[in-house]
Amino acid sequence: MKSRLGQIIDAFLPLFATLAALLVGAIMLIALGVNPLVAYQALLQGAFGSKNAFAETLVRATPLLLIGVGICIAYRGNVINIGGEGQMIMGALVGAYIGVTLTNFPGWLNITLGLLGGVVAGAIWGGIPGVLKAYFNVNEILSTVMMNAIAVQFKNYYLTGSLMDPSQADMASKIPQSARLEEIFRLPRLWQPTRLHLGSLIAVILAILVYILLWHTTTGYRIRAVGQNPHAAKYAGVKVKRYIVLALLLSGALAGLAGATQVYGVNYRMITDGSATGFTGGAGFNGIVAALFGQLHPILTIPASVLFGALIVGANAMQRVTQIPSALITALNGLVVVFVVSSDYWRIRRQRRRVSTDDSSDEESYLQSGDNSRTTGEVTP
Amino acid sequence: MKNLVKYLSLLLIFVFVLAACGKPTADEPSVAEEPEVVKEPEVAEKLRIAIVSPSEYNDFAFTQSIYDAMTLFETTHDIEWAFSGMMFNVDDAAAALRDYAAQGYQLVIGHGSQYGSSMQEIAPDFPETSFAWGTTVETFGQPNIYAYEAASHEGGYVMGVMAAMLSKTKVIGVVGPIETGDAKLYVDGFVAGVLATDPTINVRVTYIGSFGDIALAAEAAETHLAAGADVMTGTAQMVVGAIGKCEEAGAYWFGTQAEQSTFAPNTVVASQVYHWEVVLEDMVARRAKNQLGGEYFLINLANGGQVIAFNENVTIPAEVMEAAQATIQGIIDGTITINLP
Repeated sequence: MKSRLGQIIDAFLPLFATLAALLVGAIMLIALGVNPLVAYQALLQGAFGSKNAFAETLVRATPLLLIGVGICIAYRGNVINIGGEGQMIMGALVGAYIGVTLTNFPGWLNITLGLLGGVVAGAIWGGIPGVLKAYFNVNEILSTVMMNAIAVQFKNYYLTGSLMDPSQADMASKIPQSARLEEIFRLPRLWQPTRLHLGSLIAVILAILVYILLWHTTTGYRIRAVGQNPHAAKYAGVKVKRYIVLALLLSGALAGLAGATQVYGVNYRMITDGSATGFTGGAGFNGIVAALFGQLHPILTIPASVLFGALIVGANAMQRVTQIPSALITALNGLVVVFVVSSDYWRIRRQRRRVSTDDSSDEESYLQSGDNSRTTGEVTP
Repeated sequence: MKNLVKYLSLLLIFVFVLAACGKPTADEPSVAEEPEVVKEPEVAEKLRIAIVSPSEYNDFAFTQSIYDAMTLFETTHDIEWAFSGMMFNVDDAAAALRDYAAQGYQLVIGHGSQYGSSMQEIAPDFPETSFAWGTTVETFGQPNIYAYEAASHEGGYVMGVMAAMLSKTKVIGVVGPIETGDAKLYVDGFVAGVLATDPTINVRVTYIGSFGDIALAAEAAETHLAAGADVMTGTAQMVVGAIGKCEEAGAYWFGTQAEQSTFAPNTVVASQVYHWEVVLEDMVARRAKNQLGGEYFLINLANGGQVIAFNENVTIPAEVMEAAQATIQGIIDGTITINLP
């Protein structure tokens, strides 16, 4: 019973962490002379207060969910994917290229190919660090981060060059952006007149499919087995290297799809200010936090992404209402990230403590019952 | 865990007590209301202007130029204005632009050339609201979109003339963001000014591929300085990194977009300062005559939208100052033609 309560508390720990971050944020707001109750009321209103606000929250949550679900796969395979930003950019770049070049195709085919192009581009961008990790033991944290930097340069190169909107190329302003997708090449909107698009639904379906993949298929079982103990998995005949690559490849594919859906569903073009976040809005990193918030479980990542989408959308609305310096919004988002990530460390510590407590209570009951199955190495099914 | 709950509860109580004592901000809008239904006649009489910009208000560059302009504009006009910075993500900016329009702001300005698509998308939904964006000439044929641009090459040319005269090593460094908009215009104008004054000077131009990467701008500046540059310039918000390097090396710096001498008083020789009040004045006047958009405006040296601010802390030789003034006058009266690449 105590153990079950502990598990429930663990499940809500990220929520406590978010509240704690908002409490610290409240102190900062008070220091700026702003009533935190008014500010947080504006945050809630901005995120959920109207049909449009809620739709914006869901739109913002979509890339977080896709990347978060990808992070769940990678984590279960015991590889860390910090390259969501780069994978998203490459997915968007290929998606935008297909969107503006295959204009002779029917709308549905252009969109399908564009999204698939994004998936493939993201998969390649995630698969490269996977191969480097599996076959050359290159640290995937470093390689995925480096791949982010390369992706940004690709983006800048193509958007100031061959992928630049032809109308801009002729003008003095030369805004580094691709041409705008024609209306028939855009993802259908689900909730008119808001911007909620089909990509959001696709993301939710994929989260469920990833759950099925990880917990109800042999492939998923092997990914998790490799993640839990690569030596044992190898001993059991699992091709460990192949599944390390697969975990990062799938993770990258989902991030690539996130990029392509941003192009086809939200911006209808790709644009650069030179940085990664100018296009991604930091989704490549925030997706990791959303996944941690969702206990690295694909289904739990759905509400976690909505919550993070709400925080981002709501915090911006809060700035508009209270007119606090915009830097505070960045600080507030940062606080939430730090607190949630820290809470995961706490959760793991608590789990370990609980396991050791359970073990010692087992030990006591074993001594009392005189059961000798442990000493003889018998395993209870 | 009990401790955690205890501490969190205490913190919660503490914050709520503080919140209850907190001073409510003046004119706090009621967030309980739907933004679409905010219709207060007394507020409607006051022109409400909202600005959405990619970086923070004190970036010593593009965003500061509009923020300073609004601060000045407010002193002479009966307006209420709101500002949202750090909207480097186009998605966030689009949400902000739409929200300000929904809140009843009559003039909504997207101060960044990346906001064009958002303007095109949002403006038709708010036909009574004027939108403006820059720097560009594009109004998309929409009757409620204004566009504005800066003839930044003019000030760039003046700076180039001064830089060429001040340089002893005959090596000048330029740190740009991406080859686009007023940044490219300024750099091209600067290079033209240097070469028109002394064609033998080696002008090293680097576009770092980012508007916000301060560290990268500092690296680019270091490279130019190591190559012998003793005078430098650059544009966009990341230049503070480059200015810092110039300060360390004792090199001169020429600024643009906003007054930069306050950042490095002994390094910045002069700044080309954008006075967007000129454009704001035009837009507000048009709107008063029920023209909600469909026109583009320009700031330049002639209309006072661009002003060269010389830094009094730096001793500028008399002949350099004379040349600068003559160049400004020449550009204004049309006797100097700037040949851009």
